[in-house]
Amino acid sequence: MKQSELSAVLTDVNCAKGLPNEHYISAEMFAEEKRSVIFANWSGVGFGKDIPSPGDAKPLDFLGMPIVLVRDRDGSIGVFQNTCRHRGMILIDKPQNIRGAIRCPYHSWCYSLNGALRATPHVGGPGQNKHDDINMDELGLIRIRSFVWRDVIFINVDGQAVDFEQAHGALMERWKEFDQPLHHGGDASSFKLNVKTNWKLAVENYCESYHLPWVHPGLNSYSRLEDHYNIAVRGSYSGQGTLVYRQLGDDDGKKLPDFSGLSDTWDEGAEYITFYPNVLFGVQRDHCFAIVLEPVSCGETVEHIELYYAKDEGETPEYDGLRAANAALWKTVFEEDIFVVEGMQRGRHGQLFDGGRFSPAMDGPTHNFHHWIATQIEHGRAG
Amino acid sequence: MRRALADDLAAMDEQIMAAHAQHDFPALVHLYTCAADAAELADQQDAAAFYLTHAFVFALEAGASEAAALNKRLADIGRADLLEF
Repeated sequence: MKQSELSAVLTDVNCAKGLPNEHYISAEMFAEEKRSVIFANWSGVGFGKDIPSPGDAKPLDFLGMPIVLVRDRDGSIGVFQNTCRHRGMILIDKPQNIRGAIRCPYHSWCYSLNGALRATPHVGGPGQNKHDDINMDELGLIRIRSFVWRDVIFINVDGQAVDFEQAHGALMERWKEFDQPLHHGGDASSFKLNVKTNWKLAVENYCESYHLPWVHPGLNSYSRLEDHYNIAVRGSYSGQGTLVYRQLGDDDGKKLPDFSGLSDTWDEGAEYITFYPNVLFGVQRDHCFAIVLEPVSCGETVEHIELYYAKDEGETPEYDGLRAANAALWKTVFEEDIFVVEGMQRGRHGQLFDGGRFSPAMDGPTHNFHHWIATQIEHGRAG
Repeated sequence: MRRALADDLAAMDEQIMAAHAQHDFPALVHLYTCAADAAELADQQDAAAFYLTHAFVFALEAGASEAAALNKRLADIGRADLLEF
């Protein structure tokens, strides 16, 4: 395979170019990034709120790989390859609650919620459920390394990444004030957008505030460009912050309850940061959100968006209206971004485009992401 | 004896098929256990183990309390490893 030239990316933002076109439009490059970027790091695949009860199981197709998210009896979450160890049959084909064991629909090999193989019916012949050469201890479901943070389920498919807390410790520390119970806002706080773009363009757009006055003019009245700041930590994360976050209020002046114990920084501060590679987080004093970008193909992405609050939805119906208004507001903002990320995707078919130049002042966070991607790819090629 | 077992199982067949069609796990566990009991009475150990296996698998899948006892019956006749429940 022809390898892309990345040295122009791996330099200072002032003179760097962006990733070459093939990283957005080539199926071959998509496959390389799947291996070197998505599967080699901690990538978001789903949300704990989608498997709330013990025994809940949700199958997913993650870049062509069948996986299943499972809530065990003790409340912990496990992620497994959704493939029977016997003949490779898909085990779970739709979300469901497992009352006892996961039974393969083909020959009925059964697995517990922690992946242990529990039954191999007729494996030694009719009515004989064991065989000397079948060691059940060695044939449990393949567990995929996982970590849950802020309700997002992250996995490291190749098992080679450094521990999650090591990989993301700096950002976890940055936001430790928000390390407190999150309550999902309910159905109205959950939506997804199918976007005709490469997943990286959604990250790039999210990382910078440069576009805000042009793409989201509704923000200009209170959130000017100069009220935002860049966040970029080389090799780690990037995004942007605002100094003028304004809480939504209803006609009576009521506002959503704050997370407890936050410092003054967050009175009017808010931050929007990408957990590389594919999870976009936002934190504000009264709500948070997480967006898991699901790369479907080099030109298709699904954005899974979930909003969380400080108080439980069921216990605070008086805030239903504000939660709905807040979700509608964010949906408008995210939908306003669609034409941009789809437009950049189309633009990447311009054969004479050289990856583009960055604004040294405004595009540091975006370049930081390109730099990280290029580094992962170089690492994969070296390995 | 073999004739009587065949008659018993034939009589159960329709119920078993209906239980499969309705994913009626309690019925599946019960009917396959009955079939195993009938085979055991008829001294048909392979047939008994076969039905016992099905009763156990459906009990295990459903998280039914019978699973432990069915596993023990299979283990006692050397047809399965004894599991912890």
